[in-house]
Parts: sequence; structure tokens; C-alpha cells
Amino acid sequence: MVILWPLGVIGEFRPWTLFEAQNLRVMGGFLAAFLPPASGGEFLVYLGRATLETLAIATAGIALAFLLAVPLAMASTQALSVSRLGPGAGRRRGEWLRAVLRVVLVVLRGLPELVWALLFVRVFGLGPAAGVLALGLTYGGMLAKVYAEILESGDNRPARALLEAGASRLQALCYGLLPGAAQELTSYTVYRWECAVRASVVMGFVGAGGLGQLMDQSMRMLNGSEAATILLTFLLLVLAADALSGLLRRQLGEADGRAGALAFGRRTLLWLLLLGSALLGSYLWLELGLAALLSRSALTSMADYFGAFFPLDLSPGWLAAVGWGALETVAISALGTLLAAAAGLLLALPASGRYGQAFEQLTRFLLNALRSVPELVWATLMALAAGLGPFAGILALALHTSGVLGRLFAEALQNAPPRPRDALLEAGTPSGIAFLYGTLPEVSPQLIAYSLYRWEMNIRMAAILGFVGAGGLGQLLYVKLSLFQYAQASTVIAAMLLLSVAVDAGSAWLRRWLASPGG
Amino acid sequence: MFCLHDVELTHANGFVALREIALALQTGEQLAIVGPSGAGKTTLLRLISAALRPSKGRIDLLGGDPWALSAAELRRLRTRIGVAHQAPPLPPRQRVVTAVLAGRLGQWPWWKGIASLAYPVDVTGACAALARLELGERIFDRCDRLSGGQLQRVGIARVLYQQAQLVLADEPVSALDPALALQTVKVLCDDAAARGATLVASLHAVDLARSCFPRIVGMREGRIVFDLPVAAVDDVLLSELYATEGGGLPLLAGEQPGTVPPTVEAGLPRRGTCWR
Repeated sequence: MVILWPLGVIGEFRPWTLFEAQNLRVMGGFLAAFLPPASGGEFLVYLGRATLETLAIATAGIALAFLLAVPLAMASTQALSVSRLGPGAGRRRGEWLRAVLRVVLVVLRGLPELVWALLFVRVFGLGPAAGVLALGLTYGGMLAKVYAEILESGDNRPARALLEAGASRLQALCYGLLPGAAQELTSYTVYRWECAVRASVVMGFVGAGGLGQLMDQSMRMLNGSEAATILLTFLLLVLAADALSGLLRRQLGEADGRAGALAFGRRTLLWLLLLGSALLGSYLWLELGLAALLSRSALTSMADYFGAFFPLDLSPGWLAAVGWGALETVAISALGTLLAAAAGLLLALPASGRYGQAFEQLTRFLLNALRSVPELVWATLMALAAGLGPFAGILALALHTSGVLGRLFAEALQNAPPRPRDALLEAGTPSGIAFLYGTLPEVSPQLIAYSLYRWEMNIRMAAILGFVGAGGLGQLLYVKLSLFQYAQASTVIAAMLLLSVAVDAGSAWLRRWLASPGG
Repeated sequence: MFCLHDVELTHANGFVALREIALALQTGEQLAIVGPSGAGKTTLLRLISAALRPSKGRIDLLGGDPWALSAAELRRLRTRIGVAHQAPPLPPRQRVVTAVLAGRLGQWPWWKGIASLAYPVDVTGACAALARLELGERIFDRCDRLSGGQLQRVGIARVLYQQAQLVLADEPVSALDPALALQTVKVLCDDAAARGATLVASLHAVDLARSCFPRIVGMREGRIVFDLPVAAVDDVLLSELYATEGGGLPLLAGEQPGTVPPTVEAGLPRRGTCWR
């Protein structure tokens, strides 16, 4: 309570606003317009194009991220360090280089893709180019970090032996590390593509093309029927990306039966062809015009634009405002996650199948619907329902996260060993008590770990929910960028970066603490 | 070929693995290193392969101090040295043919190494190397389908394929049965002799060392205890070397030291057939 009360005050936690007459009227009218969803021919054509654009942005963004991540990961992983052999000359230099690269990676992935998109939209104008670049940079940083970790976590002896026999880094990677790590690397990349689809939906809200841009327009005009159709499309798209990524990853796990000298079978070839055509298709569809991006005039205007961000505005008044914004962000994320954990646990009980098949299917559908609507979309909806401000952010995070946590919790409950609970039931314990004594102790560490992990993600998310008016650092950034006050904006960006780094360090510390026997 | 001057190696944790090592080898010589486990045999081989840097002393390797070279020159030097490891560092999911061809990665341009991942560029060469160790028919199997002994021989096939000027073998036949162990060491020795390459092998079985190598170095507790032609290495010397281990001398399955297992003469290589 001691912690929760201030959090509630900072987050302007006022549930009653939901039921104020004016808000009810706006939301009610909007929701009433949901039915029937818009199905006009012209609108559906728009919708189809926007959906394809969203997919193309995600695919092109991941491709760019991959191109960025591979050299960065190769240079920053210890598993491919030549200078560590011996140790030879240039070891100090190698360590320095790796440290500098790690900082670059932190900056790349420390800023949410939405912030990058917001910045790039002002350079390249409205449209998909900003979205692709934003995804490429953020996901490039994430992929590079995770690639490097995957490469380091495996057996490094084969690569080391090859380096010791005079092979180059690239060769040592291909012959020594990839055989063991390729599956995990591909699986993670596919998972990131799935995330990129969700992210590119959202980036439209700052004008980076795709479904989000369409949704933004419909919401601004309070066109409920269009919004309903777009939300349904979100749902379908996210579920489809989920299914496709699951299928791909399952296929990876199976051995590719073959005979002969060729290193891969027909199915792999098919997937590669499919991948190639998807990349080409995305590139052509988006008409990115990369040459124009790299022209001299574009580069100078970019330099001018980013030059305006320096020096940072460090006046005490502004710093205090940014500090308050950061506090608000943390409060939003903490309350949102807490609500989500509670709701997620309640939903996980039926979703884990303990009240019968029908309830299980129903709640699973509900959970999928909750989590397939991105936080930012929830935030725009909640801003209508509860008015602008941090409380809308809390609700948005709680709704989306309870979908995610509910599913994870349900899986944890299903995987929990049944014996302790069964033993209690056989001894005549009521089923509710048996759950508390038999199942919950088994799964609670996992549930706590999941919740903390989501909280970590939600801190980052809360920082950008402000773009649609849901308080926190994002709102400050959005306002300052709209007013062209770049010096203040860059202070906010720096604060976001600091927050992200602090969260990283904090969660790493917490994980170590939880893993230690005393924890 | 190489020359170690008063070399000492201290690990990062302060443990002195090698001290006062002086050793020189001419081109084309063949040398076996014996000694109880923990004597520093592996560390010495890693020093000679320029994978470890001595903490004290100087090393001349293939005509110069490797640690005075630039990174690119050191890389080129390393391509001329081949190492067969006791536990071959081969990725389990890699195919045997790829594992063998990897021996020449350092000599190939980068695109050849990449192309070879899709379609092996030198199946014939890999097959020839494997056939000498009777593994020709396993060429397109994955490494995780092989037994420990087979894997060890794939590692040796890689060194054979590499055609290095200096071949270092670290207990290369520890997972093989006596007959196969002898035959495999013979293949290594014959290959080195035929190419005029230099061979250094650390061996656990002293009889194997005595039957195949003209010169033997005994090591204990990080020092070289003796460095003699094989005729001068008798049972008394060896017993002193292994005195701390207790029990008899480590031999190939139960033979008396000095006697040669009957398979040596009879063991003409039954060449394995290659896939094709």
C-alpha cells in the first residue's frame, strides 16, 4: 500500500472517470457505431492495401535489421575474437571495439521503434520509408545483441579450432558456429518478424504508413464502423503472423531428410525461394527509392535536422518536468502490469481448462483478442473512454498485458505437476484450497518471473503511449516535437534512453538475485 | 621447423603449466610426447600451434617469432599448422564432408568457403582423406551420428586434408581400439613422411609411441624429463616417468611394453569404399 498509493497518485488512477457522463456518452456512441463493421467496397480496397503495406514494412524492416545485425554481431561476439587467441596483439583494441559496439547497440535498441519512426517521419515525410528505417535500426540493435549472445552461449570450441587453424571470422562463423546455432538464430529472427508485424501496425499512428495510419484517421473521425473492421483485421493479421511463425519454427526443428552431396533438401529450397520473393515483393510494393534517401540533399537535410537536437536543454525547470514525466511513466507501467497480472491470473484459471472445454475456448479467444490489439491502439480507445492522461495509459497496458500474461499463466498452470494438487483433492480438500496449496506454490516463481519481464517491457511501452495522449515521457516528446522545440525533445529522448538502460540493468540484477539460492 | 627457448607458461589463475621448456625439431622429424595426465602435453602442443602465447621465453615457429607477426601474417602462419584434437571440435549438426573440408578454410578464398556450404567443392579430396581412415562411406552423415572413435578419425581426416607443414596431434587415438589406434597413427606418420611434413603427437599409450616414433619426449609436472631417441627409452625410464600414477605403464590393451600388437604387420589398411 505504501508503494501503491503514490503510484496511484502519480498515475492519476481514477477509475470513476470511466463512468462520468460525458466520457460514457463519447465511448458509447463510438462503440455503438462499431456494429456493423464497415464493409464498403472502396474502404475494403484501402484496407487491403494498408494490410499489405504493413506486412511489407515489417518484412523490409526485418531485412534491413538483419543486414545491420550480422556484421555488428560478428564484430561484437567474443566467440569470434581472433585477438583473444594467445592472447595475441591487439587484444586490448579488440576489447575496446567490442565495448564501443555494445554501447552503439544499447542506443539502437534503447529507443523504441516508435520514437525513431516519429523522428524519421519528419525527415522523409509521411509514408513507409520512416517505418522501415525505424524498424531496421531498433530491431537491428536487438537482433545483433541476441545473435551475439546465442553465438556465445553455444559450444565455441569448433570456431576456436578453426580460428587457430587460420580461418577467417566469416569462415569460423559458417563452419564452426552456425551448424549449432542456425536453428536458434532463425527461430529468433522469425519471432522478431512476428513482433515487427505488430510494431508496424502501431507505427502508422505517427504517420509511417500501413494499417495504423488508417486506424488513426478513422479514430480521429470517430468512425466506429471503420475502426471495428480495422481492429478485426489487426486480430486476423496478428493471429496469422503468429501461426506462420509457429509453423516455420516447427519446420526448423524437423530434420530435412536427404541423400547426396547437396547440403539442403527441396523444402529448404522452397522456403528460401518464398523468402526471396517476399523480400523482393516488399521492396517493390513500398517503392522505397533508397537512392533518393542517400542523395546529397537528403543527407544534408538529415544532418541539419539531427543537428537541431543538440545541445540538450538541461535547464533545471525542464529537467524537473522530464523527471516527473519519467516518474509518471514508471507509475503507469507498474500499475498497468499489476492490474494485468491480477486479471491475467483470473483469466488463466478458465483458460487452463479447469472449468471445462467451452470456458477454455472462450477465454482463450478473449485472451488472444486482448493481446492482438497493440497497446497503442488500446491507448487511443482508452483516451476516449477515460479522457487524455496517464490513466488511459494504465488501462491500455493492463488490457493488452492481461492478454499476454493470461496466456503465459495458463500455459504455466497446465504444465504444473498435477501430483501435489491431486494428493490434496484425494484427502478431501476443497478444490479452491487445493489450488492455493498444491498448484500455486509450484508455479508462482514462474508467474512472478513472467510478470516482471512484462513490466520491463511495459516501462518502455509506457514511455511511448504518450504519443496518443496517455501521459508520461511520450506525451512530452510528442508535444515538443510538434512545437519544433528540438533541444527539449532531445532531453526527453535522452531520458528515455537512460530509463531503458536502467531497466536493462535492473532486470539483469533482479534475475541474478532471483536465481541466487537466497532469493 | 620450430624451436622453444626456455619457455614458461603461467595460466591466468597463477598455475604454472610449463616451465623451462627447451625443445627443437628439424623439418620432417617425427616426435612423440608421453607422460602422465596433467604433465602439460596438451599445453605444450597449444604453444607450438601458436594458440597460446608463452609467458616467458621465446618461440621460433616456421622461421620466426609468431607473436611478432601482424594479425594477417599470424593467420597465414596458422594455416600451415594442422592440429588433431583429442576431442575433435566438430559441430554435431555438421556433415562429415563439411567438417573435413574445413581443414583448408584458411587456404581458400572466402567465397569458396561459402560456396562449399551449399555444395561441397572437393568431395573427391575429402573422400580420399576419409578412405585412408576407413570412413569413406560415412562422408555424407552428420557428425552426431558417429561414435567417439569415428569422430576422432574425422578430426584426423581433416588434418590429412589440410596438408599442413607441421602436424600436431593431441592424443589423437585415445578413443580407438588398439588395432585401429596403431593403424591410424601409422597413417599419420606415413602421410607426414610422404610429404616431408613434421609430426608431433602426444600419446597416452607408451608402446604406441615406441613402435611408431623415432624420438620420444617424456614430460612430468610441466617439465621435459627426457628427450631421447627411441632406442634409449627403456622400461626403467618410463616407470620413473609414471611413478606417481601407480600401477603399470599405460599401454594399448594389456600388451607388454615394447612388443608390437600383431595387427601392425597384418594390419594393411582395408581401404573403405567411398560413396559415389
